[in-house]
Amino acid sequence: MSSDRYYATIQGTEYVIEITSETRVTINGTTRTVDYQPLKQQASCSLLVDGKLYEPIVYQENGGWEVLIGSGRFIVQVEDERERRLRLATGETSYQPGRYILTSPMPGLVIDIPVKEGDQVSKGDVLVILESMKMQNELRAPRDGTVSRIHAKVNGNVERKENLLVLE
Amino acid sequence: MFKKILIANRGEIAVRVIRSCREMGISTVAVFSDADRHSLHVRYADEAYHLGPPKASESYLLIEKIIKIALASGADAIHPGYGFLAERADFSQACQDNGITFIGPKSSSITAMGNKQMARNTVRNAGVPVIPGTDGHGDLSDQSLLEIAPEIGFPLLIKPSAGGGGKGMREVRNFEEMPDLLAVSRREAESSFGDGNIYLEKLIQGARHIEIQILADQHGNVIHLGERECSLQRRHQKILEEAPSPFIGEDQAMRDQMGAIAVQAARSVDYINAGTIEFLVDKDRNFYFLEMNTRLQVEHPVTEAVTGIDIVKEQIRIAAGEQLSYQQKDINLTGWAMECRVNAEDPFRDFIPSTGTISHSLLPAGPGVRVDTGVYSGFEISPYYDALISKVIVHGETRDKTIARMKRVLNEYRLIGIRTNIPLHLALLDNPSFLSGNFDTHFIEDEILLDSEISFDAALAEIAALAAVLATNQHDQQSAVVIRRGKRDLSNWKLAGRREQTE
Repeated sequence: MSSDRYYATIQGTEYVIEITSETRVTINGTTRTVDYQPLKQQASCSLLVDGKLYEPIVYQENGGWEVLIGSGRFIVQVEDERERRLRLATGETSYQPGRYILTSPMPGLVIDIPVKEGDQVSKGDVLVILESMKMQNELRAPRDGTVSRIHAKVNGNVERKENLLVLE
Repeated sequence: MFKKILIANRGEIAVRVIRSCREMGISTVAVFSDADRHSLHVRYADEAYHLGPPKASESYLLIEKIIKIALASGADAIHPGYGFLAERADFSQACQDNGITFIGPKSSSITAMGNKQMARNTVRNAGVPVIPGTDGHGDLSDQSLLEIAPEIGFPLLIKPSAGGGGKGMREVRNFEEMPDLLAVSRREAESSFGDGNIYLEKLIQGARHIEIQILADQHGNVIHLGERECSLQRRHQKILEEAPSPFIGEDQAMRDQMGAIAVQAARSVDYINAGTIEFLVDKDRNFYFLEMNTRLQVEHPVTEAVTGIDIVKEQIRIAAGEQLSYQQKDINLTGWAMECRVNAEDPFRDFIPSTGTISHSLLPAGPGVRVDTGVYSGFEISPYYDALISKVIVHGETRDKTIARMKRVLNEYRLIGIRTNIPLHLALLDNPSFLSGNFDTHFIEDEILLDSEISFDAALAEIAALAAVLATNQHDQQSAVVIRRGKRDLSNWKLAGRREQTE
């Protein structure tokens, strides 16, 4: 493993993480001994950090990572050196999640779309109501933004992972 | 005793019934929809027959087809599990008409308890306390309900006469919002149960939901197996159950009294087989009849753990005409048991159902653990059936030890590829009010918050950041390898695909 520097962001907190060797990383300047064993065919790994064991479940989600540990859930955005330089060159000062594409978590029937294109929405606002598993489910905005595009139609059937709506 | 039993169900409960049948030396017949050929209940059965497309109305709810399969395969009895046809009087009747034993109550008992208003009248006449409501008056119009409402007092509850599971139920806080809620409730009841009749009930605030398991044979013996605490619910769906109830605790007199009344309620409809009387209990320890479930309950394993009785085997023995294996004096509750319902849903995204393939399942084990599930590694969760995929049951000496065990067990459990509500359970098991046994039926919705922004653990966040970086790095390395091997006559896509298959 070559020396690689990454920038991870969780809710505005940045972690500069450098992988210096197979068994060593520095996190915000502090060196830690790691033993990282991805488990095959699983979004999971056995991770030893300074002798302490963790088994996080790591899913790729909307261009970032979603990490589950116990009762905790963390949304992590990761950039490498090159991506960070590109972003800084365009003048952005802090990490801005780009567009968010709301995809259908399951096959179902679109019952309602209480927003329209151009609407400003806040985190937690209902974007789409989908019926599946005999339940009506409210799909909500994960953050503030503007509805830039609506692909779904009311009373339309959607497949799993189908794009429903775009938030900028 | 029966030679062969058809299980008219799917998922974990069908597996559960098959297990008891096998231990009793009875052959099993499974039925399955297009979505379930690979399900565990099919793999564990001795015979299996196809029903139809995935939709329940075209498969698991087809009474005629199921009866036909039972007759053709030579099954002498049918176990309905819970849900689907379990509480359909016409199914019980169809079995009887075709000379097949229905492992459950007579169709007349199902009818008497299936209509909530009728059930309340029946048990009230038998001297069982019920929550004050409008049911004595029959089916009423919105106009009449609005007139009676102030007499009952607010807050109150609108309930559909038919059905269950919280559908069509609405809480009304004041007179002004009542007309709209009546309309919503009727519409939901009509679409869910084909019966738009509703009634009003006084809303008991801070209430607990405690139920009594009963067993009744064909020889007039009725016993109860103590209580289950089922107050921990989300949207009227039970999430975590325990036995005994921490609210009843050492109060043996209350337990005996509730048990006696449950037996009385069962007798009032000539009940036979396993059943459950649900009660609402107020802060002052008054209890009221809520409803009777004329079937095996999802949460029956906690009672099995504390009593040592296999309820499914008793159901089968009762249906075969045998006497109960136990008398009331034989029933002793030992230790404490708890069940966590594991649902395929995302607790961090408003509990949206989660479908997809389970890429990995590692079941918890060790002392005092039982897992009832119908899923395994490689199994695909389809959107057609309910989200319950697994039940984790633990048994310990005391409530505290049982909670510690459940935490240990849920931390061992790995279900990867889909999202589950295990994080909700872990948060619940750490909650001080839960630990002290102080909660009501609104507790989960009011008290348990799972937003990671509220409970941000800085040390764990660092580990999460590291895990995401290591996963990113691994991805980068894999793509780098593919690029360096550019001279091969295979495209990167093919290589990537091949790697995915071999990993």
